[in-house]
Amino acid sequence: MHPYVRERLGLNYEMVDKYLVMRLRKYISDAGARGGVIGLSGGVDSALTARLLTKATDNFFILVMPSKSTPKKDVEDAMELIREFKGENRYAYFEIDELVDKFSSLAKTEDKRVIGNVKARVRMVALYTFAQRLGYLVVGTGDKSELMLGYFTKYGDGGVDVLPIGDLYKTQVREMAKWEGLPESIYSKPSSPALWEGQTAESELGIRYEDVDSVLYLAFDEMRSEEQILSLTGLPSPVVRRVISLVKASQHKRMPPEIFRLSGRAINSDWRYPRHWS
Amino acid sequence: MRVELAQIEVKVGRVEENLKKHLEILETTSADCVVFPELSLTGYILKDLIYETFKEVEEAVSRVAETSRCAVLGGIKEISPGILRNSAAVILNGQVNFVPKFYLPTYGLFEERRYFQRGNPLRDLRVFDFNGFKFGVLICEDAWHPEPVEALARLGAEAVFIPSASPMRRLGKSLGIEDQWTSLIKAHSLMNGVWIVFSNLVGPQDEEFFWGGSMVSSPLGEIRAKGKIMEEDRVVAEIDVEDVRRSRFFSSYRDHVREFHQLLSELD
Repeated sequence: MHPYVRERLGLNYEMVDKYLVMRLRKYISDAGARGGVIGLSGGVDSALTARLLTKATDNFFILVMPSKSTPKKDVEDAMELIREFKGENRYAYFEIDELVDKFSSLAKTEDKRVIGNVKARVRMVALYTFAQRLGYLVVGTGDKSELMLGYFTKYGDGGVDVLPIGDLYKTQVREMAKWEGLPESIYSKPSSPALWEGQTAESELGIRYEDVDSVLYLAFDEMRSEEQILSLTGLPSPVVRRVISLVKASQHKRMPPEIFRLSGRAINSDWRYPRHWS
Repeated sequence: MRVELAQIEVKVGRVEENLKKHLEILETTSADCVVFPELSLTGYILKDLIYETFKEVEEAVSRVAETSRCAVLGGIKEISPGILRNSAAVILNGQVNFVPKFYLPTYGLFEERRYFQRGNPLRDLRVFDFNGFKFGVLICEDAWHPEPVEALARLGAEAVFIPSASPMRRLGKSLGIEDQWTSLIKAHSLMNGVWIVFSNLVGPQDEEFFWGGSMVSSPLGEIRAKGKIMEEDRVVAEIDVEDVRRSRFFSSYRDHVREFHQLLSELD
């Protein structure tokens, strides 16, 4: 990562930790919920978010939801984290293969991308099932890099109530996980949705997260031109363009569904209310 | 004069509940005057909830006026049907005056001009007198410009109370917004030889989070009192006209080069 961007993305993690933990705690109580449910994959995003959730409330519940494409190491790491979070009596092991296979046969497809998204959506259904049973919220684990790139499944891992680390880039998430004292095997693990075997984020995107974050930061936080990004990062032009085009193409994933205007006052257009409205 | 900066968390749209919190603070304060944050009775991120919430403000303000001798509350004033102003209610010995905000931020996360009309300094800028101590009131964004504080100082204010609702942003190695506000507050104090009393909201409202950090700067630009960051706090500070003298004896505040303002009045 270019030193300029590295410097700019540096954070006071103590303050960030205090802030996010407090916000999560308040968000849960303001929503009138009793706690939070989270899916723990063994990756850095869910590990960090779970750490914050366990600091915010004793009322946490963790779901480990492996499939055939989940590396064994991820499941082991998730179980180790559960022990670290003292969550041995606050977790469930929920295998999704049977459900996913059923979708696959009913929909007559084995396309790995289609089935990959089914996995993410089955997990979402599982999280909400437990959340409703417990009176908890679903705590999402997406980070800013993934959200900006649209590197998530709409209504899958994107289907959550709140995104506590949604304004932290992946490289900041890794730094913060380290600061939180999470195991190195977690914060230095290559990111992967593991929706099919061998899938890793950086090979699928074709770009390292350090470079993704540099481009995202310069293009959107600092609103730099392509020429400036090229000269600041030394990245090839196609990489910069690809990051920016992924962001633009995935805008629909970050927005509520479009409503076609008819009336004098249409939802979200000129009918705008705060989230906590009572 | 002792002032209290009531750095409170409020519930958006719940005036009755927020009023209760105001009354509790006013009943227990050790200060002569209590300064609450901007829109402290209503909450800041109201969006279209403004259209119903404003109706409850006037009643709440008069409830406070029944008992409080000196208080500055954040509220909304309807000056004619359908025309709302983001205002500070200044309560002095049972009298209520509303001071409107002059600069309405409408950029980034702010959308105040969608809802509010700005005040007119020629009519609305006021200096109040509390037992001989003179103060003016400005709201949040007004402190991001040089003229409002200067105008109040030259109208005779010895202290400027700034009820605010500053949302947190630019958290990096330090809290960027806090650094910026501290610079502004110190600069206003130094340039005008006045006390600046910045009372900020705290707590979450939708995506935003008000960071607190209320502070009092002396006319010499020293931070004399400071509220906690990111949590509720009650800060009490003594402010004295003697410090205004000490500052102004050794500054060029007495030189008002009016021609600059003449020139400014012709510029965009």
